[in-house]
Amino acid sequence: MEALSDEMIMQKVAEGNLDLLKVLFDRHHKHVYNFLFKMTGDRMLSEDLTQDVFYKLIKYRSSYNMGSFKSWLFTIARNSLKTHFTRHHKTFEDIEVLAYQSVEDAHDMTENNAHLQNALNRLPPEDRELILLNRYQEIRYDDLAEMMGSSPGAIKTKVCRILKKLKEIYLETI
Amino acid sequence: MENEHVLDLIPEYLDGSLDKETMKDIQRHLEKCPQCQQETKEMEALLKAFKSDVVPVPSERLRSRFEEALEAEKASMGKVVPLPLEKKNRNWASSVLKIAASIALLVASFQMGSVFQQKKINQELAQLKDENLDMKQTAMLSLMENQSASKRIQGVAYIDEFENPDESIIQALANRLLNDENDNVRLTAFEALSKYTSSETVKNVFIEALEKEKNPSIQVAIIQTLVQIQEKKAAEPMKKLLEKEDTQPFIKEQIKAVLPSLT
Repeated sequence: MEALSDEMIMQKVAEGNLDLLKVLFDRHHKHVYNFLFKMTGDRMLSEDLTQDVFYKLIKYRSSYNMGSFKSWLFTIARNSLKTHFTRHHKTFEDIEVLAYQSVEDAHDMTENNAHLQNALNRLPPEDRELILLNRYQEIRYDDLAEMMGSSPGAIKTKVCRILKKLKEIYLETI
Repeated sequence: MENEHVLDLIPEYLDGSLDKETMKDIQRHLEKCPQCQQETKEMEALLKAFKSDVVPVPSERLRSRFEEALEAEKASMGKVVPLPLEKKNRNWASSVLKIAASIALLVASFQMGSVFQQKKINQELAQLKDENLDMKQTAMLSLMENQSASKRIQGVAYIDEFENPDESIIQALANRLLNDENDNVRLTAFEALSKYTSSETVKNVFIEALEKEKNPSIQVAIIQTLVQIQEKKAAEPMKKLLEKEDTQPFIKEQIKAVLPSLT
């Protein structure tokens, strides 16, 4: 079972083999959590949202369209995040709050981690999201382009530009 | 490429996601370009930070809640398992319904067709009948104008063909009764008209005929009919007939007998 790709497993889940969702949960829940945590800086919220993402995976399993599983999963995650922020009338451009929250959590991070997180927090949310998906989730440019409704070339250029910017911020604060 | 900066390719170069040819090109450029070397070093530091970043771990609560949700979903799915069977049944039932519906449609359309056909036939028949009546009427009217008395009688006798003779026929018959020179034609016309005594025209014609008529047998018939329908207006011409000298004595007697019942 370990050898099967996410896509093949999800296909079987869609066909009704619900137990296989546990495999996908094992493989991905940390990544989803990490993505959400780095976007929100809030552990409890990230856990709730991760929960929500996997509930949706159960609920909407039959709408899986055979595409890249990871991009599907993170599309759901992004939507959950968006829904959360619209529902709570906050824009997630509120970087001050994020910075504060991440400082609060910084005690169980290494210094390096804290630096990186602080640098990430200073990026606009759209940019931060793109970098997180590209760096931590290793989602291919093609899939990213599909998720963002853009072209692979444009995404590649954008990622490169954001990385440069992030690098400046990161080196400034170190 | 050797002399151009490769700044935009550095992240991918560090990821090792470029093709071999481009990788070599960049390496060669880096050897000579301190600016790009610097950029590469810095970028490497950033990407290393990403790689060494400790991913925070969610609590065990997340897993247990997920597994609960999954079990709940499986349980609700268990209830739904007979769905495919039900679907089959529904399909079977619906196909039977479909067949029934199509048969019903077929029968209905056949019957509709025959109803319309029947209507059409009826219409055609009615039209034919109308045409037939028209023809008969024309024949009747022209026969009544014939010079031969027997033909005129034949024409008058055609009245039996009409259930509801129209005014022109009545008028034609009245003409015969009042003006025909032949006694038999007048008598036949009278007999024909006597079936329609409810018509005011016919009554008036009879009264007029009573005054004009010379043939005693027709006179008697007219008197009897008028008395039978209790036509009060007939009293006056009857009295006149009594006063006339050329009136047959038995006609006078007849009138005398019936006149009291009219006045």
